[in-house]
Order: sequence, then structure tokens, then C-alpha cells
Amino acid sequence: MIVEILQQMLNGLAIGSVYTLIALGLTVVFGILGIAHFAHGSVAMSGGYLTFVFTERLGMSFFPAMAMAMLAGAVVGLLIERLAYRPVRDAPHINAFIIALGLTMMIEGINLLVFGADQVVIQTPYRGVFDVGGIAVAELRLQVIMTTVVLIGVIAYLISRTKTGKSIRAVAQNRPAAVLMGVNVNQVSAVVFSVSSALGAAAGALVGALLAIAPGVGEGLAVKGFAVLILGGLGSIPGAIVGGLVLGVSESLAAGFISSAYKDVIAFLVMIFVLLFRPEGLLGKRS
Amino acid sequence: MLRRKLGMLVAASLLGATLCINAQAADKELVIGINDALTGPGAVYGLPQANAVQMGADEINASGGIKAGGDTYKLRVISNDDKANPTEATNSARKLIDRDGVKYLLGFCCSGSTSAVASFIERENVVMLVGNAAERAITAKGIPNLFRTRPPADFTGSAAGVFVAKRGVKTIAVIGSLDVSFYTQYLEAFEREFAKSGGKILAKETFGLKDRDMTPQLTKVRALNPEALLVLGYVEPSAFVYRQAIELGMKMPRYGFTSGSEEQFLRVASSEQMEGVWDLRPTELTVEALNANAKTYVANYTKKFGAPPSPSSPYAYDQLYVLKQAIERAGSADDPKKVIAEIRKLGVPREAVMKYLPVGGMMFDVNGQAYTSNGAFQWQKGKWVYVADLPSDPAAYSQFLLSLRK
Amino acid sequence: MRPSLQSFGIAGLVVAALCLPWVVTVPYFLQLIILALIWVVLAQGQNLIQGFTGYVSIAQAGFMGVGAYCSTLLTVKLGWSVWLTLGIAPLFTAFFAVLVGYPSLRVKGHYFAIVTLAYNMVIYIILFTYAALTGGEAGISSVPRPADISIGGVVLSFSGRIGYYYLVLAAAGLATLICALILHSRVGRILVAIRQNETLTEAIGVSAWRYKLFAFVVSASLAGLAGALYAHFIGFLNPDPFGVDQSLNAILAVILGGSGTLMGPVVGAFAVVFLPEYLRVAETYRLVMYGLILVVATIFMPRGLVPLAAQLGQRLVAAFRKTNG
Repeated sequence: MIVEILQQMLNGLAIGSVYTLIALGLTVVFGILGIAHFAHGSVAMSGGYLTFVFTERLGMSFFPAMAMAMLAGAVVGLLIERLAYRPVRDAPHINAFIIALGLTMMIEGINLLVFGADQVVIQTPYRGVFDVGGIAVAELRLQVIMTTVVLIGVIAYLISRTKTGKSIRAVAQNRPAAVLMGVNVNQVSAVVFSVSSALGAAAGALVGALLAIAPGVGEGLAVKGFAVLILGGLGSIPGAIVGGLVLGVSESLAAGFISSAYKDVIAFLVMIFVLLFRPEGLLGKRS
Repeated sequence: MLRRKLGMLVAASLLGATLCINAQAADKELVIGINDALTGPGAVYGLPQANAVQMGADEINASGGIKAGGDTYKLRVISNDDKANPTEATNSARKLIDRDGVKYLLGFCCSGSTSAVASFIERENVVMLVGNAAERAITAKGIPNLFRTRPPADFTGSAAGVFVAKRGVKTIAVIGSLDVSFYTQYLEAFEREFAKSGGKILAKETFGLKDRDMTPQLTKVRALNPEALLVLGYVEPSAFVYRQAIELGMKMPRYGFTSGSEEQFLRVASSEQMEGVWDLRPTELTVEALNANAKTYVANYTKKFGAPPSPSSPYAYDQLYVLKQAIERAGSADDPKKVIAEIRKLGVPREAVMKYLPVGGMMFDVNGQAYTSNGAFQWQKGKWVYVADLPSDPAAYSQFLLSLRK
Repeated sequence: MRPSLQSFGIAGLVVAALCLPWVVTVPYFLQLIILALIWVVLAQGQNLIQGFTGYVSIAQAGFMGVGAYCSTLLTVKLGWSVWLTLGIAPLFTAFFAVLVGYPSLRVKGHYFAIVTLAYNMVIYIILFTYAALTGGEAGISSVPRPADISIGGVVLSFSGRIGYYYLVLAAAGLATLICALILHSRVGRILVAIRQNETLTEAIGVSAWRYKLFAFVVSASLAGLAGALYAHFIGFLNPDPFGVDQSLNAILAVILGGSGTLMGPVVGAFAVVFLPEYLRVAETYRLVMYGLILVVATIFMPRGLVPLAAQLGQRLVAAFRKTNG
């Protein structure tokens, strides 16, 4: 019984890491720029597809391919910010959301055009399975978790120790004041979107290696990402980290012990429940 | 005088000959429609079917077309993508019938979209030939202008239950797309036969068509220690189940009802991870189990489309040859009712790729259903190998299907 | 008193609509028009919550599914009359929407949209998985048409397309009428005020939450009606049409046509149903095009096609009047 619970938890940590990465990308954009960037899931997918192309067609190994995809993601993020979101920055919020929906369709459509409709699975050399006291630890899942830890570390460093990070925090706390202090909001916007999309691309690559990338997967990831945001607190980075892992593990445990048929519903029920009783999230601040 | 009469005779003969030649060269065009999932989750089944029909049409045209009652028909194929979606399928079928004047609809890989079309097809003067869609209800309603080449899932399920029991398995855990009713029907029939030999099903876990992470379900099943696993689902998610079972250290035999080509499985799992997996399904396209037609079919398809055909694609290919033979016997392609009457009396066409079990000497039974033999296939060193026949009784099943009509 | 251009326009439209089945030559066309009219009902509902009130709901397709299954199950499993269930379905969906709306409307803007998205996904998953009730993916076949009505010896049949066309035409008209009445009433003015500045509206003592719930519930019941009409038209029902993609289409329809106008949803509904048919050649580009249209439209013409066309129309009329002294 203990073995089963621990196994489920371990499985859940791997998928939870992916949720965390997606949620991180969403939370920086939402917390700092106030935009519900729904297209993030599709951008993640693009990152995954690109990683696949780099590994299959160019023969690169997994992590270099992922790094390249992250770079491409950063560029995409810059473009999206400049061309799609900046024009509606001062318009009613609803416009930004509609733009997000439109971008989702566009990016899904582009993915469909360029990469086709078939599901894509990234082959990795990590096929080992270790037996730890009855629990099967798949090498691939360990790699996913460790990659996420590394990326979180990098982001944390970026935000807390660099000058750009300081500007970002300033805008997050008080945008008018930040502007008065000479912070270049445009630059901050651009950096935030690049970082967010790069993280998304990494998440996509990991999903592609662990599971599969196909049309429609991005949407589901984006929704789960927002569920994590609501669980952890919109705009809270620690909230995204904890929330993602909690969601992944809960899904696994619920599917294992309650019902596998309604597994995906867990995320949504959690979201609805949290909104009803603690809308600021587990780690958010009451406004 | 004689010369003039001779001249007129020659002229008349020449004229007559020209007229005869022209009459024989009266090439008509027969438009047939494919309603199938060319994109989306059903495309793994639908696209190869559409390709197979196109290939068959090209073959028929190249060998002179369909000759019926003095006319020669050249085939033209219109392919519509229904994305395995019921609304799309209804719309595209309507378009074929209303706008393109098509009288013969082929393809139909997926049950949801096929059922939608089946629900109105009785009112139309057309013939609907169903392929890979496995939902039993499609032929259980006695729709007079609908025929299916693929046997319902539960026909295979009972044969599979007998087989697994004979292999000495006493406890089995099931993991499948159990909210899709043809998999549930397969399971019900399987369970009936399996229980007769004292076998017990320890668990029935579900996964969705789009799910790719089945580790929670597999972990749960692993704790129950079953002697074997039964996997029921579309190729793509099932491949993940097979892979993740190995990743969780599960070593018991894996039986399945998934029907996919080697290439489709290898995109997800490695050959080592698939080693030993069984597929208990209709004896679809496997070159060893079938006849020379199968070898030719595989070779031609691979050459034409650059990838091997899917195991279920011949259901559509055979539909085309059924149609051809029925039209030839009916003497014309203009009256669907005459063609239907001929289809009912047809034996198995000699070009058919699948191995059909005739009922009462005819390919289609009173429900419009054809039956293929069922086989046990096993993944050995990167290839599906035909191991044994699964004993099946089409006549008994045909009566059962008839009894379901309310 | 000169009748205005607008009333001429409306009268002309009504006449054209009534004569349509006799003018259309290809029966397939009528199929599409019927679907488009069903979409009008859906889009008017979407417009009420999105265009008037300013809250983007991504649950419209989910509510359509609720209404569709409600009506279908009552007729197929219990044998009730379709006419009755066509009336019950919107009411049931409204009730359901109250349950859904209560927690969702406590949050604003972005939260709201995401929560409605979650609801749509939950509805979809339940419709799919609870197969004992809904038939799951295999669906429910032989969904009946409404029974014939005889009025003084004349039998009106709805089993053919022409009869059903008039039925959905009436429904679309009704939906538009309901939205018109709301728009021109006090409730409508408050909804628009909420869209423009919710904080201010609350500050002057209006309980915004009640009005938002009202809009949400009416919008959902229109979706329920559309769903029931859809199910009885196609004759086969399964969860496929009620996923998130359809909700996104409803949003697109409203934006394209014109948020917050009455004719906007009509134009948008027809666009959403007909464009895929004509862009079928470029099917693969369709998603990109839709997305691009949404983005471009929101940046450059956030008020949609109908207001744009109206503006153009006004300019033309003004120019015409000038040249004619």
C-alpha cells in the first residue's frame, strides 16, 4: 500500500514538474503585466515540436535540442509581446484576453501546418528503470524533475540577483512608480515574455519526451497551468512551484485511488473549489 | 452497278462499325464518395482507408473500369474529411449526396461519425459501406442500405476470451478506453468466455482517447498482482500503456485489442518494450495469415504512398471490390436498389484482401454484416507475427446480432 | 413621415428570410443555413454576456451540450414530446447556469473566463465519461424531430428540412428579440455600464453581481435552446460538438459580427458556419486565419464588422445626400 502511494506520488511529481514550468511562464506574465496569456500552451507545443525536429532531423541530442528550442521560444515571446499584446496594453482587459485566444488559434494553426496533425513523441536515450524498494523509478522521469529544478533555480537567480530582475520586481509591485523611477516598461515586458516563452518551450520539450505532443494538448496544458495559478496565487512564483507539484501529485493519487475516468476533472474541481473559498490561492496575499 | 452497290455496302459497314465502336467506347463516370477521418485522432484508421480506396479505384480504371450492362464506368473518387466528428460527418455525407450526386459512400473508420450518418442514411437512395468502425449498433438496426466489412468488436471479444483462458491465465486486469462502447462490448464478450473457464477480472481501469499518461492506472493495477494485462484502446494511447507498463517494472504478459502497424507502435515505444505483446483482433492485414492478394496489396500500397498500410485499411479496399462486383452483376450503376440486391447475394470477391467467413455461403449476413476470421498476433523482434487462429462462429453471432433489433 | 432606412432593411430581411427555402436550389445549402440559424441563437447568447456585459464566457458550447442532452434524453428515454422538451431544455440549462455562475461571477475578468473554460471542460468530460446516461462517444441515435402540427386542416411537418428551417428561423428571431428587449431596458443599460466601468457601477449602489448572473443565465439558456434544436436536427447526439473549440467559435462569431450590437451575432453566426465551407480548400489555413482575424480585429476594429459596416453605410448615405443637394 505504501509502495503504491509512493509510486503514484513519484509519477505525479514528474508531470507536476511540467505543470510547474507552464505555470511559471504564465505567472510571470500575469503577475507583472496583468495578461492572461492563454496562448502559452500552444507556444509550449511549438517548443516541443521544434525539439522533435532538432533531435530527429538534425540528430541533436535531447538537451541541446531543448536549449535551441528555448531560444526560439524566447524570440517568439518577443514577437508576441511586440506585435500582439503591446498594441492593446492600454485598452480594456477583455481585449488582451481576446488577443490571447486569437493567438492560441494562430499558433495551433501554424503548428498544424508546419508539423502536421500526427502525434509526436521525442525519443530519448533515458530508458533505464531503477527499482528502489519496490518503487519503479524511471530514468526519464528523474531527468524531467531535475531539469525543472535547474530551470527554477535559473529563474530565481534572474529575478533576485540581476538588475533586470530588479526592474521586473519593481514593475510587478507598482507600475506607475516604476515608470517614474525610470524603469523601461517596454524592456521589462519584452524580457518577461521571452523568459516566459522560453520556459514554455522547455515544458513542451519535456512533455514531448515524457508523453506526446499533438494538436489540442497545448490547450489542456494552458488550462491546467491556470488552475495551478489559481491554486498557488496569481502572480506568485512560489505558488506556481508548489501548486504545480501539488496538482500533479493529486491527479496521480486521485486517478489511482478514486477514479481514472475523471482524472482531468480533478484540476478543474480544485480550481473551482479554491475560487469559491480562497480566491487568492494557497500562497497568495489577500487583496 | 455492282461497283456502286459494293461501294454502298462497304460504306454502310464502315458506318455501322464506327457506330458500334463508338457505342462500346461509351465511357461513363462513376463517382464514389469517401467519408472518413483524414485528420485528427481517427486519421490513423481513416486516412489509410481513404488511400486504399483511391488505390483500388486507380487499379480498376487501369484495367478498363467497371463493365456493367454494356457501359464501362471509370471511377472518380471524392474524399471528404469528417475528422471523426459527427456533425462534420453528417455535413460531408449530405454534401456528397445532395451536391455531388454520389450514390455510393465508402470508408467510415470511426464509430461516432459513422453512427451519425447511419441515423439518416435509410431515407436516402444510396449505398453506405462501412469499414473500420466497430460499434455493434451500426449493423444491429437492420438498415437495408448499409453494409459493413469489419466485424463488430464483441465478435472478436468472445474468441479472445476463450484464447486467453486456454493459455492458463486465471486472473487478468483490464485497462482500456472503456467509455467507448465497442471496447466495452468486446470486454463483455471476453469476460463471458473467460469466466466460463474460471477466469477472473481483477480491475477495469479507464483512460481517455487523448490520454497519454496511464501510470496512475498501471500503478493501481500493479498492486493487484494480476497474471496478465488486457489493453483495449486506439493505437496511440495503447502504445503508451505498453511502454509505461515496462517503465513500472511490470513483467506479466500483455494482451490487447488495438490493431496498429509496427510503425505506429514504434513511434512511441521501443521494440524491446513491445516484445511479447499480443494483439487479439480480426485477422487483418498480416501477410502470413492471408493470401497472395495481401502481399500484392502491401507492396502496391507501400510503393504508392511511401508507408506501409495500416492493418485495417483493407476493409475499405474490399468495399470497393464488393461494389464493383455488385455493379457488374446488377448490370448498371444507376439504381442503388439493384446494386443492394446483388450485394446481399454476393460471395467473397476474389480480389478481397481480408479473409472473410461467409454466412450461408454469402459474404454479408441478413444484417448486412461481413465476418473476418479472428487471429492471435504477437510482437516478436519488431514485427507482428501471426501465431494462431481464434476460433469463431459467425453463424451464431449473426443470429445474436439479429436478435438485438428492437 | 419617411420610413427609415433601417425599417426598410429589416422588412426586406424578413421577407427574404420567409421566402428563402423556395429560392435556394441546392438542398445542401439549406442544411448550412439551418445550422447557421441555430448558431444565431447561440451567438446572441454569447453576445449578451460578452458583448453587452463585457465578460468573456468560454462555456457556451458546454451549455449547448447541457440543453442538447436534456432534450434528447427526455424524448428518447422517456418519450416526452419534442415541443415540450424544446421548452424545458433552456429552463434546465438556466438552472444549471445558476449553479455554475454563482461561484464564477464572484471573480472578475480573467479569472471568470478561465473558470468558464474549466466548466466547459468538466461538462465535456462528464458527457463523455458518464456513458451509462449519455451514451458516451458512441452517442444516442434516432433523436426525433418535433411532431407535426395541424392547424385547421393544414399539416405542418418538421421532419423535412423546409419545416425545420421555419422552426429555427422563429427561434433565431425570438433570441434576437429577447436580446433587443434586454438591451433597451434598464437591465440592459446597467449591463453596459458594468462593461464600461464595473467599479463605478458598484460605487453608485448597483449590485452588479445580480445583473451579471442574470446575463449569464439568459445567455446559457439561449445556448441550451440552440443545443436542443441542434440535436433534434442532426438526429444523432454525442459530446463531440460541445468542446472548448466550439466555445471559442462562439466568441469569434461575436467579435467578427460586432460585440454589443443586435445584428452582429447574426452576421457572425453565418460567417462561422459558412466560412469553413468556402475555405475548405484552405482548410489547413483556417485556424491561422481565424486567429489572425481575431487578433487584427481586436487591435484595429474592436467593435466588429456590423458597426464598421454601419459606419460605412452612414458615410455613403451622407455622401449621396450631399451630391443630391
